[in-house]
Amino acid sequence: MIPTLGHLAVVIGLAATVYAAGAFVLGGRSGDLAVLASARRAMYATLALVGFACLAMIVSLLAHDFSVLYVARNNATTTPPFYSVISLWAALEGSILFWTLLASGWASMVLHRYRARLPALMPWVGATLALGIAFFLAVMAWPGDPFVRLTPVDVQGNGPNALLQNHPFMGLHPPLLYLGYTGMAIPFAFGMAALITRRTDEEWLAVVRRWTLVPWIFLTMGIVAGAWWSYAVLGWGGYWAWDPVENAALLPWLTATAFIHSSMVAERRGTLRTWTHALVIATFVLTLVGTFLTRSGIVNSVHAFTTSGIGAWFASAIVVTLAVALGLLIWRLPDLRDRRPPGAVVSRESAFLFNNVLFLGITFAILFGTLYPVVVEATTGAKASVGAPWFNRVNAPIFVALLFLTGVGPALPWGGASWTTVRERFAIPILSAVGIVVAAWALGMRGAAPLGILGLATFVLVVMGDEVARGARSRTRSRGEAAPLAVLRLATRNRRRYGGYLAHVGICVMAVAIAVSATLGTDRTATLHEGEAVSIGAYTLRYDKLVTEPLASDPRVIETRAELTLAGPQSGSIATALRDYPNSQTAIATPVVRTAFGEDLYVTLLAYNATTGTATLRIFVNPLVMWIWTGGAIVALGALFAIWPDRRRTAIEAAVAAGA
Amino acid sequence: MTLARPVLPPLPPRGRRWGVLVGVAIVVGVIAYLAFSNVGNALVYYVTPTELAARGDSAVGQTVRLGGLVKAGSISGEAPALFFVLTDGTTEMRVHAVSAPTQSFRAGIGAVVEGTLGADGVFEASQVIVKHDENYVAPSEGALPTQAFDPGT
Repeated sequence: MIPTLGHLAVVIGLAATVYAAGAFVLGGRSGDLAVLASARRAMYATLALVGFACLAMIVSLLAHDFSVLYVARNNATTTPPFYSVISLWAALEGSILFWTLLASGWASMVLHRYRARLPALMPWVGATLALGIAFFLAVMAWPGDPFVRLTPVDVQGNGPNALLQNHPFMGLHPPLLYLGYTGMAIPFAFGMAALITRRTDEEWLAVVRRWTLVPWIFLTMGIVAGAWWSYAVLGWGGYWAWDPVENAALLPWLTATAFIHSSMVAERRGTLRTWTHALVIATFVLTLVGTFLTRSGIVNSVHAFTTSGIGAWFASAIVVTLAVALGLLIWRLPDLRDRRPPGAVVSRESAFLFNNVLFLGITFAILFGTLYPVVVEATTGAKASVGAPWFNRVNAPIFVALLFLTGVGPALPWGGASWTTVRERFAIPILSAVGIVVAAWALGMRGAAPLGILGLATFVLVVMGDEVARGARSRTRSRGEAAPLAVLRLATRNRRRYGGYLAHVGICVMAVAIAVSATLGTDRTATLHEGEAVSIGAYTLRYDKLVTEPLASDPRVIETRAELTLAGPQSGSIATALRDYPNSQTAIATPVVRTAFGEDLYVTLLAYNATTGTATLRIFVNPLVMWIWTGGAIVALGALFAIWPDRRRTAIEAAVAAGA
Repeated sequence: MTLARPVLPPLPPRGRRWGVLVGVAIVVGVIAYLAFSNVGNALVYYVTPTELAARGDSAVGQTVRLGGLVKAGSISGEAPALFFVLTDGTTEMRVHAVSAPTQSFRAGIGAVVEGTLGADGVFEASQVIVKHDENYVAPSEGALPTQAFDPGT
């Protein structure tokens, strides 16, 4: 009964979005407010219907209703409630349902917020969003029906994928990522509306900058949380492997980040306008490509869902979206001419331009590396993969160049910089960077990569600190404010700029942490008998005993754990385990991570011998890893600070909207 | 530090646009060089013992991923002196592994080893990856392991 209602909700939702798309187009052409209002209501109704369908699925999962194929495959009678609920997004069909819920949520939110504003753009924004959601509902109505019934009814259920139920992070990382992915439909919809209505001036940009940053924050957090999940769950001691699906999440993030930068130039200087439009389109298409990669089974990945017929649907959607959007963009090219000549080679707009070229360069390199094996297999039949070393070799220099621009861009004036300005702005930062590098070297840090990145990050931070100090000094001089107050006022009166700086601080922290953890870590593998000890760095680990017992929370899972006593900078009893899930051939590693400010001690149980009691441990000392997550949080906070509504700007926005 | 409208600069000198374009071209060129100059050896191929044997001497020294089933009764020793035989049903290949495989490694299981074929016909594996749960990773014959599970390089 409940699953049938869920399926019905999806079908009615599909009808409602198709109606909404039609009504938005008609209302947009005629300007009939009643028609537009009914289109909006149809979108709100879709949100309610998809929400109901999700609820129906969650109820079926919690009730272990194995008459539903999805539940039988991804749930078991013993699955704890938490993992039952999050199984909503643990496999293909459910994740599309969840995806559609988030997409409908974003759409309703935007349509409601701007119901009385931007009257020329909004009908077309609504039509674009409605069509996008209709596609996902159609996928669920036909090839990817999450409510397909199973006869005869399974009695026990297969249980969720072992990897996915081994860590509560699965409750956090996919929703964040999906919120980011689905939210990128908003800038795309505004971009399409601006092109359709030929209102490609700064109006849509002001709205879209903000509504790109909101999903961007989620995407950023989702990617960092995904890296953290990989680190905490997979037991290989690392956090990023250039896995095709990790890449798929990074690609739209890169183009969206490029957009965030180029839109500043488009808004302030009236240049890079076509480019900025193209980035909005690229970001949305890359979210579709990401979904396609994850769900079609064309790439082999830890995240890939089972092969399905959905691939063809997504491939068609990508082709159609790309064709329509690029067609529209080319048609409107005459509207998008630059309003001003480009800046000098050494100017802020050029820094932004190079920033964008580099972001796109990374995007292409990663896309190429991800899809190359697919092309090779399609043309020669040979199966191959592009390894992480290639991605590191290609991308590391580009990221370094980007980090350099992070420091250079904000200190250069618009238009062009004189040699005097350059010298005045960069002398102290360069000297500070050299000083820090020498100090780090004297303290025993070795290696070109970590030292170089440390110097570069120092350069960037000092440039920004200098910028803030200049601004604060001028406030102190002109208004007599005390220094702390001046800094606070400066930041809150120009949130975009200083929020951006804060995000850059986070990037610097991440860059140093990644460079150091990737190059200065140590690891060793040791097979120990009970009572034996092993040393790594300043730590000593004694292997006490092997314990095998069922997991308290789910007795079908058998955990074998090596209990260890740790001594050194951190000490205490720790345990690292392998868990045997009934539905997995492979035992799932459950590494133990002891985190400190300076470094993580990471121990994973590779293998054990129950008869002799030996355990094979792989032990990593990973320096600065927690600063990767911290840096990610600072980036997100910076972006949040930048978009935080302040009274003054809200008033300006309202005035702009009223005039539009 | 205020939001004053930027004053329109005077028309730029001729060649300014070219300066920027040349800069962009250089950056694009460097990126393209980085991406394409060594993509040939970026690819690691998946092969079966039969395919690898068919290549003969030309296969010696090339890094590949060899996939097959661990032959029953073939496992001997412990890493770094672990030996076993991988088979695809037609061809068998002796493998020497220096690093310890994970717990699931046992006779009869599917495994992928990365490394090179030695001149003596023994495959020198730098790592052994046990095949994953079929329900999850989109499985197609031979193409099993995932980067995320590589214990580093």
